[in-house]
Amino acid sequence: MLNYNSPIMDAKNYSGIKISVTESVIKINLRGKNRDFITKIGKELSIIPPTDPNISSGNEKLNILWLGPDEWLLYSNDKIDFKNNNSLEDRLFDQISKVKLGSVTNVTDHWVMINLKGDNVFELLSSGCPFNFNDFKNSKGAVTQTLLNHIDVIIHNKNINDLNLFVRRSFSIHLWSWMNDSARFI
Amino acid sequence: MFLINCPYCGERDQSEFSAGGEAHIVRPKQPTELSDDQWAEFLFMRKNIKGVQLERWNHAHGCRKWFNMVRNTSDDKIHAVYKMGEKPPIK
Repeated sequence: MLNYNSPIMDAKNYSGIKISVTESVIKINLRGKNRDFITKIGKELSIIPPTDPNISSGNEKLNILWLGPDEWLLYSNDKIDFKNNNSLEDRLFDQISKVKLGSVTNVTDHWVMINLKGDNVFELLSSGCPFNFNDFKNSKGAVTQTLLNHIDVIIHNKNINDLNLFVRRSFSIHLWSWMNDSARFI
Repeated sequence: MFLINCPYCGERDQSEFSAGGEAHIVRPKQPTELSDDQWAEFLFMRKNIKGVQLERWNHAHGCRKWFNMVRNTSDDKIHAVYKMGEKPPIK
């Protein structure tokens, strides 16, 4: 049984930036190479995993982020239902992993999701990131994997000036400290 | 610092990538039949060209995919980027 505890449970407000970590949402890593895999995901979730790079697809409940030509990150918008927390994973595992179409891995505790909102979020990110956000910030649903303060992150542009940032659990406290420290000077 | 055009993700900063050395070195089909010198030749010896070289690179902090690059080692000019398994666009 996974221990769904986020190492950070906090929210901070700065000038034009709100940074928060709320309760865990379910995160599942999906890997597969053939067309049947994509079709099966589409049937199960009613969302087709994007095949074009650096974008996402989703509905009101779930998002699928493109991570590579054969890799996607699925995450929910809702917090984990602890009574029924494995149903989505089990369903995908039965339909995909068991029939060897691809792999389904629960990474809920691997990634910590930090939400960033406000007019100055890209000022904060640009202060420690080599990625060019010029096109990214105006593309709703855009996804990028890059470095922030030398830490690997996945950034999902959910809405204009509303981002979800995923960082590995072991780096999350350090990144959280850096973000709070940097946000004070924006 | 220079930009690298990842064949999967597009143009990214060089700090997201890691170099993997010379490309297109074929692994011997029967390593057990090689002498120590021949094995060392395959394993360690590289051309280390000053000029245009075919190299392997990995987008380590992005899509984590390996790809090949034609790069001039003296001025870091990138002539071409191509996926693994594809033939080099220039010789």
